[in-house]
Amino acid sequence: MPQPVQYRGMALIVPDNDSEWKEFYAHARAHRLVVRKCKACGLMRYPPTHACPWCMDLGWTWQEVSGRGTIYSYEIVAHAIQPGFKEMTPYAVVLVELDEQRGQPTPDEALRVIANLVKVDFTAESEADVAIGKRVRVVFQDLADHMALPQFTLTEEPAAGRVWRLPE
Amino acid sequence: MVVQSRGLRDKYCIVGVGETEYSRSSGRTTRAMAVEAIRKAILDAGLKAADVDGMLDYQGGDSTLANSVASDLGIRFNFYMDVMGGGSSTEALVGLAMGAIEAGMCNTVAIYRSMNGYSEFRIGGTGARAAQPVRGLDLAQVPYGMRSAGQNFAPTFMRHMYEYGTTSAQVAHVRVAHSKHASQNPKALLKERVTVPDVLNSRWIVKPLHLLDCCVETDNATCIIVTSVERARDLKHRPIHIMGVAGRVSKPRLDFHWAYGPISRVAGYYAKDIVFPQAGITPEDVDVTGSYDAFTFTTMLQLEEYGFCKKGEGGAYVSSGIIELGGTRPNNTSGSHLCEGYTHGMSMVIENVRQLRGTVDDYCPRAAEGIHTYDYSPRQCRQVKDAEITMNLGWAMPATGSALIMRR
Repeated sequence: MPQPVQYRGMALIVPDNDSEWKEFYAHARAHRLVVRKCKACGLMRYPPTHACPWCMDLGWTWQEVSGRGTIYSYEIVAHAIQPGFKEMTPYAVVLVELDEQRGQPTPDEALRVIANLVKVDFTAESEADVAIGKRVRVVFQDLADHMALPQFTLTEEPAAGRVWRLPE
Repeated sequence: MVVQSRGLRDKYCIVGVGETEYSRSSGRTTRAMAVEAIRKAILDAGLKAADVDGMLDYQGGDSTLANSVASDLGIRFNFYMDVMGGGSSTEALVGLAMGAIEAGMCNTVAIYRSMNGYSEFRIGGTGARAAQPVRGLDLAQVPYGMRSAGQNFAPTFMRHMYEYGTTSAQVAHVRVAHSKHASQNPKALLKERVTVPDVLNSRWIVKPLHLLDCCVETDNATCIIVTSVERARDLKHRPIHIMGVAGRVSKPRLDFHWAYGPISRVAGYYAKDIVFPQAGITPEDVDVTGSYDAFTFTTMLQLEEYGFCKKGEGGAYVSSGIIELGGTRPNNTSGSHLCEGYTHGMSMVIENVRQLRGTVDDYCPRAAEGIHTYDYSPRQCRQVKDAEITMNLGWAMPATGSALIMRR
């Protein structure tokens, strides 16, 4: 079993039998964002799960996605719970809708991913620049030989729809 | 999927309630607290230990199992079960207790929750919980500093503000109302009334949540006793009838509540279609609500989703005065999680039982006899006059919730 990865005071454990995450992180370490794609109905899903939540089929393949998307919602953590995050405050947690599969299979669904919104050096993005509607792309924060965390960073693309952030 | 009502309206009752002191340092075990709360509820019902033959409890690896506390109290079981679960388990276990009795497995069930929720296992994720390694499903959130309940729910709250224009000031009124109610509650940890500016000027925890948008982690144990209406008739108090119950109803893809949209929709969207038809009433018939207020926003979202106002109008509803004592439908009259103390949902059901009995334990000298002043100024009365129907709205997370409708 690989050693736990120490990150911000947490022990992240991805054992050899972690049939959901182990390969996901291996791809992430190679700087590829992958999701599971159902062999039967073709829909993609995240986080990685064993069965398809729409057709219950067990067949799937890893599908690389663009890693581009739009901030659907967010929060700004001012008071960190985990000690290792205190130096990062205030930091943004963003809920990103990836460009692939927006509005499918129902209008309210999408491939949604949680991560931090960071600058290219993986420090927290300035709070004033975090907003719903802003465009982002994935970046990979290498943590160990077998693991990297997908994160998101702002792009120069025009916003998708209304841009909104919590009023001061 | 339509859930078929089973014709159990008014056939089961809550006959006993009890709780320990709410504190930030109990200095004792969850076993000791559970025993005290269950004993109080048994005595409140006018029962003896030998009359209780069923037990249900819920916890998250932070409490004492039923076999221990029952042994301490001299209870022999015909049925018991320990359930893994958090918020919204209260209402669900009331329904399961009815089911166990209806199935002929036992006669009377004590439901308890015991937690050193501040001094030992903090719900917020600090203390003993913080040392746990991160693996499995947690990897999708926790490595990003999204661990506590507030951090878990905040994107839902933020999206509601984006979609409907809900403001921090509107939602702050939930805290204002509950603090008003807590000022009438000798048990409450936080008895001082607060204002909207007090909430908005308190420090940020996780935007859009200020400190005063969050509940108060607490050490306590609580107990509710359920039995059949036949058994309830000759007990100490007026029986409080269960009209309808929905237990741990979920949205699709509930492993992550943000996976399925709209994320501003919460599980009450589905639960309302179970509980209202069972009870045969509509929201307009409800006199008092008890809504899970882990945060100000959770109360607002649930009142909206169960139809006490239109979807998207929750901010206007909670800031209208309706939810305060003296308003047309007071919510959380004990001050509940935001001000009384965090009980994982139990205290709001206990409070509504007392409201329906007419014996809320406020500062009125003869409250226990049901004699109240209905003076809602500080340190006075919190009894709602002639409350006939109450509704509890239980919350585990945006994707899971429960509901319970009771009448006197």
